[in-house]
Amino acid sequence: MAMKNQINPWLASNVWLLVIAMLPAFLLLAALIYFTAWAFSFSFTDLELVGRKSVNWSWVGFENYVRLWTRKGFLDALWTTVIFTFFSAIVGQSVLGFLLAGALRTTRSNLRSFIEVAIMLGWLLPDIVAAFLWSATTSQTGLINNLIITPLGFKPVNFISEFALPVVTIANIWKGTAWSYLLFSAALDSVSREVVEAAKVDGATPFQRIWLVILPIIRPHIATNMLFITIWTFTYFPLIYALTGGGPGRQSETLAIFMYKQSFGTGKLGYGSAISVAMLLIVGALSLIYLRLLREPK
Amino acid sequence: MLKRNLMATVAAVAMAAASVIPAHAEITFMYATWLSGLVEPGVANFEKATGETVNAIKLPDQGYDQRVALDLSAGTAADVVLMDSFMVSELASAGYLHPLDELAAGWDQYQYYLKGLIEVGSYDGKVYSLPTDTDVRMLWYNKANFEKAGIAMPWEPKSWADVLDAAQKLKDAGVEYAFQLPAGTKQGEATTMQGFYMALLGADVPEGDRNRLRDRTSGKWIGDSPGIRKTLQLYHDVYVEKSLTAPDLNYATDIGASVREAMANNTIGILASGSWEDACLWDCTGANVPSREERDALVGWTPWPGSGDPGTNATTNISGGWAVGINEKAADKDLAFGLVKAIFDKDNFEAWTIANHRMGVRTDISESPEYTQDAYLAKATALAATTTGRDTVPGYQTVSALIQQATADILDGSSVDDVVKEYHDALVDEFGADAVETYE
Repeated sequence: MAMKNQINPWLASNVWLLVIAMLPAFLLLAALIYFTAWAFSFSFTDLELVGRKSVNWSWVGFENYVRLWTRKGFLDALWTTVIFTFFSAIVGQSVLGFLLAGALRTTRSNLRSFIEVAIMLGWLLPDIVAAFLWSATTSQTGLINNLIITPLGFKPVNFISEFALPVVTIANIWKGTAWSYLLFSAALDSVSREVVEAAKVDGATPFQRIWLVILPIIRPHIATNMLFITIWTFTYFPLIYALTGGGPGRQSETLAIFMYKQSFGTGKLGYGSAISVAMLLIVGALSLIYLRLLREPK
Repeated sequence: MLKRNLMATVAAVAMAAASVIPAHAEITFMYATWLSGLVEPGVANFEKATGETVNAIKLPDQGYDQRVALDLSAGTAADVVLMDSFMVSELASAGYLHPLDELAAGWDQYQYYLKGLIEVGSYDGKVYSLPTDTDVRMLWYNKANFEKAGIAMPWEPKSWADVLDAAQKLKDAGVEYAFQLPAGTKQGEATTMQGFYMALLGADVPEGDRNRLRDRTSGKWIGDSPGIRKTLQLYHDVYVEKSLTAPDLNYATDIGASVREAMANNTIGILASGSWEDACLWDCTGANVPSREERDALVGWTPWPGSGDPGTNATTNISGGWAVGINEKAADKDLAFGLVKAIFDKDNFEAWTIANHRMGVRTDISESPEYTQDAYLAKATALAATTTGRDTVPGYQTVSALIQQATADILDGSSVDDVVKEYHDALVDEFGADAVETYE
């Protein structure tokens, strides 16, 4: 047993080998820190993508950060992102994933495999393909109108024009539920049958069994899931951009899209960097909350 | 099991990625899909004549501008680069492009390029790009829908009121996109040129650049003017007040494809676009374009009228176009220019220009019998008599992006006052208060 914590003597005598073996890790860390430091430094400049300010940029202090508050865009996009993240990730993917995992847990049939494959398909499809698919499905002549709206006697609805944010939210629920489902499936498997049976014998109702027994046991899994999907969804770009480009107007403009538009459309890399630093801080704060949840209660 | 599969997948993806990254090629060229009809035969001719290998990188039209700017600034762009001509001065001012004066001096076909267009592709007295084409802009209309709405053809609107009136009739007849006026940021420059600037040029009297984005005398950007306000009001009328058109085409996954589809399905009434649509409404690369008669039976076009207010232009026009330049980082500039020469060699260039109804940029092509005898090109060229160009000075790209955002905010229901204030403030942020002026 003692050997376990000791380094192999041959390895220990080869310091250079150890250094070389660690190099990839150092390079990776250096790259991560480099990009973050780059964005952080240039958020205090007026660097632009093209033109003279792309070469002769200058320091502008906190100007970019002040503009986050004083100019239109950031606060609207932040609110849109909060709504999008809350409804598509926290409510949609998480709750739906949990319900599916719970409902299918005891099923061992072809139905379960079928549903699992169906859920996974959305997850596996590339974002751009998914965007085309949802774009076609929600169009005036698309599946939803032809199958539901028109047969019920209503006029066809142009979903992207009228309900852009709900459409991207639902599309993201469809796309991302598989992750939460898989995670909760595994989590529920770890809840021992005896504990649930014991609660049943003690007279706990089904709701009480979930709320007071199962959920507390899988609490770390819930927090892990929340941590991941919040980070992903908060910074999520491709599906929304391809589906609506943030529009119509700014209706589905999340922070990631706002940052892209400012950095590469308007060409203000300095301002774009400030937006990304702000996003980093917000996501970092949310992560800390989740990490706190991960800790066992005393 | 899952882990092993995952590793296998990762390995497979990595191998696939490695195979996509090209082996070392002598010379690279990046271009947008719409130009492939000109590029592909030109590249083939070049490879045959020189024995060199060209790595021609064909990229999607949508988002191409951003890609060019990003690749050049990151130092990863191809040796030869196609770009929208408004970007040339901006890219040249940053030192990303190589001046062509010396290289072009030794080419016998250089003399035929129109001076005005060479000027657009120049910066600080040096030539940085050669134009591929130029264009004019107009209102295209769907004849089947005009018939349905009972609008007389040929349609000749004399004012914005006439256009809005026709659009209202189209909407009442059930046409979803009665007046597709490009808006928002997703289609980039198309919003500024096909939509905003075409309206702006006819919004106010053409005195002292009152109907432009930049005062060319003082060199200042115009942050607020009656013309800008009237143009934004037009967007407000079309998208908010009268709801003449659903906004989603401006935000489609593939905007070009969606517009083509909508025109083919007769859901567009009027489309604000340009002379290239004579081919692009069907296929921009020039393949699969129906016969002249079939096209004429489906769509017609009319010049953009001015607002109709006293003293304004009767019709408006603004011309753009694309250009090819050489990356300052290209290893072998002579070879790179050799590729440019092969692509623009007269036979190849002329065949493409005429087949796709692009407007010629060289006199040896535009004065050829095939060009002058083409009825469409003759009619479109007549529009060019009163055309103007963009404000192709460094900074234009930012201004253009701000204009696109302004139209997007109008779509969102913001008032013209608020949008103008936001636009003005953003200009001051970018260029300083001294570089922005206001017209009363």
